[in-house]
Amino acid sequence: MTNALLSALPTAILVPLPVAVPLVVCAILLATAHLLPGRLPDILATLTALTVGILCALIASRAGDGAVTYWFGGWEPRDGVALGIGFSVDAASGWIGAFIGLLYALAFVFAWGFFGRTHGHFHILMLLFLAAMIGFCFTRDLFNLFVWFEVMSVAAFALTAYHLEESALAGALNFTVINSLAGFLMLGGIGLLYARAETLDFAGIAAAVANAGRDPVVAGGFCLVAAALMIKAAAVPFQFWLADAHAVAPSPVSVIFSGAMVSLGVFGLAKLTAVVFAGSAQVQDALPTLLTGLGALSAVLGGWMALLQRHLKRLLAFSTISHAGIMLTGIGALSAGGTGGALVYVVGHGMVKGGLFMIAGILLATRASIDEIALRGLGRGIGPAGAAMAVAGLLLAGLPVGLLDQGSRLLHGALEGTHPYAFVANLTGAALTGAAVLRATGRIFLGLGEDPGDEAGAPSEEEREKADRPLWLMLGPCCILLLLDVIVPPAWVEALAPDAINAFAHGTLTGGMEEGPLWAAWCPVGAAIALAAYALFRHKLPRAIVRPVRATQSLPARGLEALHSGLIGDYVAWLAVGLALIAGALALA
Amino acid sequence: MSPRLRLALLGAALAGLLPGAVAVIRRLPEFGATIAAYGERINAIVPAERHVANMVSAINFDLRGLDTLGEEFMLLAAITGTVVLLRGRRGENTTDRAMRLPGRAILPRSEAVVLACRLAGPLLMMFGLYVVLHATVTPGGGFQGGVILASGTLLAYVGEGYAGWRDVIRSHWLDAMEGGGALLFALCGLAPMLTGAAFMQNVLPFGTFRDLFSGGLMLIENAGVALAVCGGFTQLFLEFLEETREAAGPEEPGEESA
Repeated sequence: MTNALLSALPTAILVPLPVAVPLVVCAILLATAHLLPGRLPDILATLTALTVGILCALIASRAGDGAVTYWFGGWEPRDGVALGIGFSVDAASGWIGAFIGLLYALAFVFAWGFFGRTHGHFHILMLLFLAAMIGFCFTRDLFNLFVWFEVMSVAAFALTAYHLEESALAGALNFTVINSLAGFLMLGGIGLLYARAETLDFAGIAAAVANAGRDPVVAGGFCLVAAALMIKAAAVPFQFWLADAHAVAPSPVSVIFSGAMVSLGVFGLAKLTAVVFAGSAQVQDALPTLLTGLGALSAVLGGWMALLQRHLKRLLAFSTISHAGIMLTGIGALSAGGTGGALVYVVGHGMVKGGLFMIAGILLATRASIDEIALRGLGRGIGPAGAAMAVAGLLLAGLPVGLLDQGSRLLHGALEGTHPYAFVANLTGAALTGAAVLRATGRIFLGLGEDPGDEAGAPSEEEREKADRPLWLMLGPCCILLLLDVIVPPAWVEALAPDAINAFAHGTLTGGMEEGPLWAAWCPVGAAIALAAYALFRHKLPRAIVRPVRATQSLPARGLEALHSGLIGDYVAWLAVGLALIAGALALA
Repeated sequence: MSPRLRLALLGAALAGLLPGAVAVIRRLPEFGATIAAYGERINAIVPAERHVANMVSAINFDLRGLDTLGEEFMLLAAITGTVVLLRGRRGENTTDRAMRLPGRAILPRSEAVVLACRLAGPLLMMFGLYVVLHATVTPGGGFQGGVILASGTLLAYVGEGYAGWRDVIRSHWLDAMEGGGALLFALCGLAPMLTGAAFMQNVLPFGTFRDLFSGGLMLIENAGVALAVCGGFTQLFLEFLEETREAAGPEEPGEESA
C-alpha cells in the first residue's frame, strides 16, 4: 500500500521538498513559538528531520545510476545555457542527505527537552541548519552553494555560543571569524570563476574551465573556493577553529558539527574537483600532492593532538580533524575508489563520531564533568554508555566491521599503491584517535590509570549540562547510530558504489573500487589498544621504558599545544599560510 | 606566537600570494568590459516574459528566487541567533529603567523632537510602503522597504520615549511577523507545485509592464520578505535597546560589563 503510494509520487515533486519542508516548519515554529506547548517543538523537529531523511532516501533510490535534475521556477536551460538555479541529485548526494536527516532526528531525540526554555529557538536554528546542509548537497549552482554554506555558518555560530560561558563565547568568536573569512574567500572565488565562465551553473563553469586552459583566473578561483571548503573541512593549517568550537558547543550541536558539517566541507570539495574542475589540467595536477599532503598531515596531527587532550569533547574534536584529513587523502587519490571511499567514510564516521559526542553529552549530564582525569572511575554506574564508547573507539580505530571500516578499506585500496605515505598516515590517524577514545573509556568507566591525586581538578571551566532526561533516552540514539554503522550491509554499498560515484563525478573519475588488505584494518586496532594500554598502565611499567618515550614526545607535544593558542590572530596568520600553500601547489603544477 | 612572529608569518604568506594575485588581476576582464552573457540573456528575457522593469527584483524573486529564499532564512537565523544569545544572558523580563552614567544630566525630551518624530514617522512609513509596493517597477523592494519600515518604528522610540515604544512593539507580534513573512515566501515556492508547476514557478498573471501590478507571484513573495524583514529588524532594535535597560535584579552582574 505505502509502496504503491510512494511509487505514484513523481520524482520531480520530491527534489525541492527536503529543503522546503524544514524551512516551512521553522517559519511556523517562529511565528507561533510562544503559543506552542512544551514538547511540541521537539516532536515537530524530530518528525521533520525524519521526513527529510526519508525524502532524501527516496530521491537517492530513484536516481539510480544517473542524477535527478530539477530547475527551480521552471527555468529550464535554453540553448544549453542555464538561466535559473538547478538541483542535481545523484545517489551518493541523496544517501548522504538521508544520513544527515537521520542524524538530526537522533540529535533531536537526544536533546529531548534540553532546550525547553528557548521557545523553540534552538529547533528553529537546527532546522535551518538542516535545510542548508541538504541544499548544499543537492545544488548544481555555485552561488546557491555559497548561500547554503553561509546559512550553515550563521546557524552554527549562534548554536555554538548557546551556553554563553566565557569559553563558549571565545570558541564561537573564533569559529565566526574564521568561517566568515571562509565565506569571503568563497565569494571572491565565485567572482573570479564568474568572470571567466559567465555562468554559475556547475556544467557551464566546467565547460568554460575546460576551454580556458592554463588560466590564472581559473586557478585563482579554485584556490579561493578550495580554501573556503578546506576551512569547513578543518584541514591543516585551517583546522584551529574546529577544536575551540566543537569543544564548547552543546553536545547535540557537536553531534551535528562533527558528524555532518565538517564532512560536508570534504563533500563539497569532492564534488567541485570532480565536476567543475575536471577539465583543468593545472588543478588536476596540483590536487594529488595538495590533498594527500594536507590530508595526511591533518590525520597525524589531529590524532596526536587528540591523544594529548583530557577535555573529552576537545579530544573528540581533534579526532574529527584527523578523520576529515583521512577523507581528504581519498579525494586526493583522484580515483573512483578514493572518492567513493571518502563518501562512504563520511557516513560511517558521522555515525560513530555522532555516537561518541552523545556519550560525552551523557557524561556532562549525569556526571557533571567532561574532564577525563576528573571523571576517573565515575562512569561505573552507567556501564552501557561505557560499552558503547568502547565499541565506538574500536570502530574509530578501524575494527573491520561496518560502514566506517568499508570506507577506510576503500581508501586503503585507493592509496596503498599510489600514495604510500598517505596510506600510512591514514593508519596512524585511525590508531591515534582510537587509542585516545579507548584510553578515556578505560579511565572513566573502569577506573584504570594512575590515581591522579591533585591533578583531578579540571583546568578548564566547570561544565555541565542539564540532567533532565533518563539515561535510556540519551543512550538510545547513540546506540542506534553505532548499530546502523555496523548493520548496513556491505554488499548493498558495494553494489551501489560504482554507479553512484560515476554519477556523482559525472564520469570523470576512473579506476576500480578495490578494498585494502585485512591486515591494514587490524593494524591500527592493535596499535590503538596497545597505545591506550600504555597510557593507562604507564605507572606500572619499568622506568627504563617510560622515560625515553616521555623524553622524546614531550617537547614536540608541547610545541603542538602552543600552536593551538586560541588566539584569533594566530589562526588568521595560519589561514594565510594555507592559502599560500594552495596557490604554491597550483603554481608548481 | 609572539605578535612579531605572527606578523612575520602573515607577511611571508601574503608575499607568497602576491605574484599569484598579480597574475590573476592581469588576466581579469577589463574594467567596463561588456557585461557577462548570463546578465545579457536575463535582460533580454525578463521584460518580455515577466513584464517586470526592475531586473534586480526579477532575478531575486523569480530567476534566482531560491537564493533569496536562502538569504531570507539566513536573516532569520541571524536574528534568532541574536535573540537567543542576548536573552540567554539577560532573561526575558523587561524593565523601564535605563542604565545611567553617574553625573550625567538627564535632559527632558524637547518638544521639537516630539513634533519632528510625529511628523516624520508616518511619512517614513509611507515611503517604506511605497518602496515595498513598487518592487517590480523601481529600484527597491521588500528588503529595502522592510528596513525603512522597521526604522520608522524607531522614531516612535525617539519621539515618545522607551515606555511608549515598548507599549506599541510586542516581541510576540514581531516573531509572528518575521515567521509569517518567511512562511509566506516559502509557501510561494510550494503553492505552484500544487498546480503541477515547478517550485516557485511564476504561475500568476504577469500584469502590465511598468505598472504597480506586474510580476505576478513576485509581488506576494516581495510582501513576505517585507513582512519578515520589518519584523526581524524591529526585533533586533528591540533586543539591542533592551540591552541598555537596567538589569531587573542585582543578581545579574553581566549587564554592566556587556
